[in-house]
Amino acid sequence: MSAITAEPPASTGQAHHPEVGFFHKYIWTYDHKMIGIQYLWTALFFLLVGGGLALLVRYQLAWPNTPVPLIGQFLPATVASDGAIIPGGYNMLVTMHATLMVFFVVMPLLIGTFGNFLIPLQIGAGDMAFPLLNELSYWLYVVSGFLILAAFFAPGGAPGTGWTAYAPLSAEAKYNGTQMGQSLWGIAIFVNGLSSIAGATNYITTVVNMRAPGMTMFRMPLTVWSLFITAILLVLAVPVLSAAAAMLFCDLNMGTSFFKPAGGGQPLLWQHLFWFFGHPEVYILILPAMGLVSEIIAVFARKPIFGYKAMVYAMIAIGFLGFIVWGHHMFVSGMNLTLSATFSVSTMFIAVPSAIKTFNWMGTVWRGSIEFTTAMCFALAFVTMFVIGGLSGIFMASTPVDLFVHHTYFIVAHFHYVIFGGSILAIFGALYFWFPKMFGCMLNETLGKVHFFLTFIFFNLAFFPMHNLGLGGMMRRIADPTVYEHLRQLQPLNQISTIGAMGLGFTTFIFLGNIIITLWNRKSHPAPDNPWHANTLEWTVPSPPGHGNFPVTPTVYHGPYEYSVPGLDKDYLPQTEPAPAHVKLEAH
Amino acid sequence: MSTAVLNHDQPAGHASAPPATAKFGMIMFLASEAMLFAGLIGGYIVLRLSMPQWPLPLEDGRVVHLPWLLTGINTVFLVTSSFTLHFAEVQVKKGKSGLPLIFVTILLGSLFVGIQCYEWWHLHHEGLWFNSGGVYGSSFFLMTGFHGVHVLVGVLLILWCFLRQVFTRCFTPAHHVALENISLYWHFVDVVWLFLFAIVYLWH
Ligand code: HEM
Ligand SMILES: [Cu+2]
Repeated sequence: MSAITAEPPASTGQAHHPEVGFFHKYIWTYDHKMIGIQYLWTALFFLLVGGGLALLVRYQLAWPNTPVPLIGQFLPATVASDGAIIPGGYNMLVTMHATLMVFFVVMPLLIGTFGNFLIPLQIGAGDMAFPLLNELSYWLYVVSGFLILAAFFAPGGAPGTGWTAYAPLSAEAKYNGTQMGQSLWGIAIFVNGLSSIAGATNYITTVVNMRAPGMTMFRMPLTVWSLFITAILLVLAVPVLSAAAAMLFCDLNMGTSFFKPAGGGQPLLWQHLFWFFGHPEVYILILPAMGLVSEIIAVFARKPIFGYKAMVYAMIAIGFLGFIVWGHHMFVSGMNLTLSATFSVSTMFIAVPSAIKTFNWMGTVWRGSIEFTTAMCFALAFVTMFVIGGLSGIFMASTPVDLFVHHTYFIVAHFHYVIFGGSILAIFGALYFWFPKMFGCMLNETLGKVHFFLTFIFFNLAFFPMHNLGLGGMMRRIADPTVYEHLRQLQPLNQISTIGAMGLGFTTFIFLGNIIITLWNRKSHPAPDNPWHANTLEWTVPSPPGHGNFPVTPTVYHGPYEYSVPGLDKDYLPQTEPAPAHVKLEAH
Repeated sequence: MSTAVLNHDQPAGHASAPPATAKFGMIMFLASEAMLFAGLIGGYIVLRLSMPQWPLPLEDGRVVHLPWLLTGINTVFLVTSSFTLHFAEVQVKKGKSGLPLIFVTILLGSLFVGIQCYEWWHLHHEGLWFNSGGVYGSSFFLMTGFHGVHVLVGVLLILWCFLRQVFTRCFTPAHHVALENISLYWHFVDVVWLFLFAIVYLWH
């Protein structure tokens, strides 16, 4: 298949771009690289806010009803009284933590930051197809961020109905006590959805129409594949949540009765709509991470990705199956047993492509000459942690087991293993890996290793005990476990978990410190064009790439994973370099 | 939208994505719009199927029926407007201005919005509103409301095309991306309406 370029951006020479002013460079920019960086800073800000909320939650669970040290007095009256967190406030913290982390941290980091930064660079395009839409998508995200934070200042406080906002609790102001807070949640989700849809539309269009000559679909890096499939999931899943959020808003403010039994509405309808979005959403949170990790693993194992096409088909399968499993979140909703069994089986099917990917990562590092850079450490940790989270997922996919563990800390352990142990570790790794390309300087590897090991240890300390807590019967979203007889003996586990969480919070500052120090001395660790000897197109241009990315449109001669090809004098072969005549490449 | 593709990387005169790309983007956007309506319609079907009786009576026991005949006529207007816009595009491709047909489209679109407004007013008068008649009122007004806003946006976009064409004659046989994409959007809104009309007004 010959490559499709929408219109060869014939020599988008960097020279003839006039210098742009501060405003057009940093605030309202059409440059996908800068938009990616805007997403990065904004999402890191939300990471700190969301992490702070999590620490408050953990503090309360370990030492219930004792004043929070240092900041207790500054908490609003809806959250704490005399410095100690109150039950309603606890619910607000849990809700806002999860909402922020899912919609304002992990999605913007994976999709906003890496999607924007990498897609055009890795397919050899000068920019996204619709640069204005791209910037619009960023600012919609910022607006939705203000809206969700505003919920803290609403008269009844922030919403406390969980990130899943189950009706009728969420739909009746007299139940949830904060009509405005919950409404702001709905509006923020809606606006955030517009941002996601704008971004995703753009990514799909760019990948399909703007690839450089020679960049066939099956020569695209797995990163681009993963973001492409994710974008399709976004376009199809997010609007359903928007529809649900609109109904919720109307129920709260206009007297409609979609989710209110009194008027013939159905609380269960909310669950179906939410999870129809919600399950694809969790794959939206993991697929890009898988793509980033695949890239890092191949580069530092100095080996071709094992089973490139299998990886692509596995991601397509995961994306497709993701739409027919949502019922596994609703096994206890009184669902018909046949339906429940169907959802059980379809969920277990997802384990197959997930396992294919895991085995392929193992096949890739197998007998590789592994370089344990910080990025590689994070990538390998991703694989192991994802396996733990995936396995607990399969437990819960089975209805009889789920009836027992549903709504316990076992679930909380599961999704933190996949979202923190998976997505966030992948994001850290990817930041170490692509930081040089983004900012033109190398992050400090020693600090990076410290960051890695502490994160890995504290992460497991914080989240592994949750498995035991859940199996021991600790429910989710309870403000004080010690009021339950059967949970008192488990309290030490809660305290261990909290210590781990505090460690994680502390470790994040090592990471931020590393970023700040590096950027401060950016001249002293300049990044070469291709510090990791990688093959993909972004490494053929300067770090950071100039406006318009490629001085001349690159031509691609082969796939992205030609590492350690026998017969070559170097162990990598950039996609822009044709293989010498005597060297035979494995595929494409 | 096609103006959403300004790319300051490229010299002026080359300010937007190529037409095929813009159109592809529009189709992706419409796919997500389709899922928005799928969510609304799916919800409606679930709610309705679990009701022993439909339409639900109002709180005072009266049953308000939807004026399906008037809306049927209105549907004809909307469908016609899709054709007029399509033929306007054909005219533009032939090198004509297409203005009369674009104008007729705007009239028909506005007529549709007008009649929908009248219908809302009428139903409100009868006692059916967002907050009455249970999910019957809720779903009717939310779905037609979402759709109505889409029609209104469409009318404004077509008006914008019209004014641009009047003053600048910017749509040439070779280049009329904005018109093409807006008419895609318009056909989409039209098709959605056919679904809504069938399940909201005709399904007894
Ligand atoms: C092998 C793959 C996976 C399987 C079989 C699986 C299965 C499940 C099941 C059955 C539940 C519902 C449990 C309950 O509430 O009773 C669940 C919850 C959850 N999963 Fe997974 N999962 C998998 C992978 C993932 C991934 C990759 C992510 C995210 C990156 C994820 C995120 C979540 C979240 C956030 C929840 C909890 C939602 C909530 O109730 O708040 N899962 N998973
Ligand atoms: Cu799920």
